[in-house]
Amino acid sequence: MDKLTKTTGIALLKKLREIRQFEERIIPLYPTDVMVTPVHLHIGQEAVPVGVCAHLTAADTIFFGHRTHGPALAKGMDMNKLMAELYGRTTGCSRSYGGSMHVVDPANGMLGSSAIVGGSIALGVGSALAAKLSGQDRIAVSYFGDGAMDSGVFWESINFAALKQVPVLFVCENNLLSNTMTQAEHLFAKPTAVVQNFMPAFSADGTDVQSVYSVVGEAIAHIRTKRQPAFVECRTKRWMKHQGVDRDDLTYNKVDPKQDDPIWKLEQGLLENSMITEAEIKQITKDIELRIDAAIEFAQNSPFPNAEDLVREV
Amino acid sequence: MPWSRIEQSHSAADSGRIISYKDAIREAIDQAMIHDPRVFVIGLDADDKFGAFGTLLDMTHPERIIGTPISENAMTGVALGAAVSGMRPLYVHLRVDFMLLTMDQIVNYVAKWRYMTQGQVKVPIVIRAVIGRGWGCGAQHSQTLSSFFTHIPGLKVVMPSTPYDAKGLLLAAIKDDYPVISIEHRWLYKNTGGVPQELYTVPLGKGRILKSGNSLTVVATSAAVIDTLNGCEKHNLDVEVIDPRTLKPLDEGMILESVAKTGRLLVVDYDYPSCGFAAEVCAMVAEKGFASLKAPVQRYTFPESSMPASGILERAYYPNPDKIAARIKEMLAEQPVLSRA
Ligand SMILES: Cc1ncc(C[n+]2csc(CCOP(=O)(O)OP(=O)(O)O)c2C)c(N)n1
Ligand SMILES: [Mg+2]
Repeated sequence: MDKLTKTTGIALLKKLREIRQFEERIIPLYPTDVMVTPVHLHIGQEAVPVGVCAHLTAADTIFFGHRTHGPALAKGMDMNKLMAELYGRTTGCSRSYGGSMHVVDPANGMLGSSAIVGGSIALGVGSALAAKLSGQDRIAVSYFGDGAMDSGVFWESINFAALKQVPVLFVCENNLLSNTMTQAEHLFAKPTAVVQNFMPAFSADGTDVQSVYSVVGEAIAHIRTKRQPAFVECRTKRWMKHQGVDRDDLTYNKVDPKQDDPIWKLEQGLLENSMITEAEIKQITKDIELRIDAAIEFAQNSPFPNAEDLVREV
Repeated sequence: MPWSRIEQSHSAADSGRIISYKDAIREAIDQAMIHDPRVFVIGLDADDKFGAFGTLLDMTHPERIIGTPISENAMTGVALGAAVSGMRPLYVHLRVDFMLLTMDQIVNYVAKWRYMTQGQVKVPIVIRAVIGRGWGCGAQHSQTLSSFFTHIPGLKVVMPSTPYDAKGLLLAAIKDDYPVISIEHRWLYKNTGGVPQELYTVPLGKGRILKSGNSLTVVATSAAVIDTLNGCEKHNLDVEVIDPRTLKPLDEGMILESVAKTGRLLVVDYDYPSCGFAAEVCAMVAEKGFASLKAPVQRYTFPESSMPASGILERAYYPNPDKIAARIKEMLAEQPVLSRA
């Protein structure tokens, strides 16, 4: 706990738990078909969005891909709106037209997410360019997985961001998997080794929110002061299957329930340093459960869209 | 050349074993790879344990199935480079939406290479893509886009609707020395039908009459063919159902002949309407078969909108057998507006 204050530590824990508990509630609900949308769960990887977004303001923009729930909640999306979107209700963040993969919340800097791997990396660069051109002091984040680094658009975006020196943070949430492919099977080189020729490139332990928080803090300080791009790779573990609500069963993706658990790690650290008590953890957990209960109720009581509204905002 | 010995089976008799659409595709690919060592498969997750929805499982030549990174545009160029250098690549995309990343390679390279080299270089490449909505996949994972490819000179486009055609058209595509885009609707994968065991091809550019009738001609593609047939059966409609099977080249003769008999045309195509395949068929009939028409031609397509995620809206978005039948009945109920002397 050398790097975290008590306040920050507890704030990070609350966000980690919010994402974890939100998704754990999806697991039993999903097979009942109340959520008709493909879900890519974040369980196990929460330290990355939480450690990154803790440094962002609402004005900072973020662009992510198909695995949306973690970064969306970490960046400040209202749980009710996300739950209602999963339930296909008009009160959802995308009014039920988007589903799990297309979430939006402009007030919190989320201007849309894409299910086509890679493409939205360029949008983060463009958003940073907009900040530069219009003299805003916000920054932008391009948030993606290791699979996205296979794509041309990733390398083209890195090159352009470096050429034009725009204030963008590239975050690779590296779960070392692209669907069922290991990173070694889909990406030849170590990403940081190549990217550091373009911009400062950092590595963090994506199973440890302290590590992500401190490394990203350094990267963002660079971006905010120098108005230049930076890259952070956060190595993490995917606990669930690529899509859906089942535990992953790939023999080459073994998960250690403690060492790969950002929540266990942070709670251990906070307890050891007497920054939190078991009772306080219980209370945090319970408060979040109540908020999720309310979100589910909100979603269930929200209206479905009307078929007459099929063609809208085309 | 190994392929010149393969007979084209013009009779569409679905004889032999009953197997699924998916297995028909699998068998076609397996047999093509056994038959011709130049045939190889490339694609993201082509070599994983799901094997492209089962169409690439248990292959005799797994060493010729190549998985790729998420690098679709470059990989299409790689496949084209292999094709012009003597191989016969079969590129597979688990969703057609990912093919949009390859439009530069497809439109500027694949479609034009034979033209720009004036046939001195052949382009025997097949690109398969799977389509079909489902489970709130939303706007970026539910498109059809067949009309898109049909728009481009230099590409042939096939959309098999039956297991028999799935095998025969895929083999014809692999055999062909021009680029062919093959689009498969995933709702069809479990459908079964008669499929001969041996290698055979279904000619590119020949349609098929799946149901004959007198009062109206329906031209339908892919899953819309099956929905139309089901709608006609359920509502006992006397219409002729044509599956062009190949969107390009199009079997214009078959469509015009049918319209000459029925005087009415409805095109059912699960794709966007504007400048789409349905519009193309309507224009063709208006140009070449105007004298046969008793009523205006009609299209039944997706609405002019992207696909919503919510289930209710998704269902409203898609045509289905009952909706198609209702549209046909509406057309039949109208008095002929075009009276011929
Ligand atoms: C261009 C494109 N190709 C293929 C896919 C199918 N697909 C969806 S997610 C995914 C794996 C992405 O891996 P990664 O970027 O590491 O993200 P993760 O799922 O691990 O979070 C693939 C191949 C896609 N959505 N877009
Ligand atoms: Mg990954």
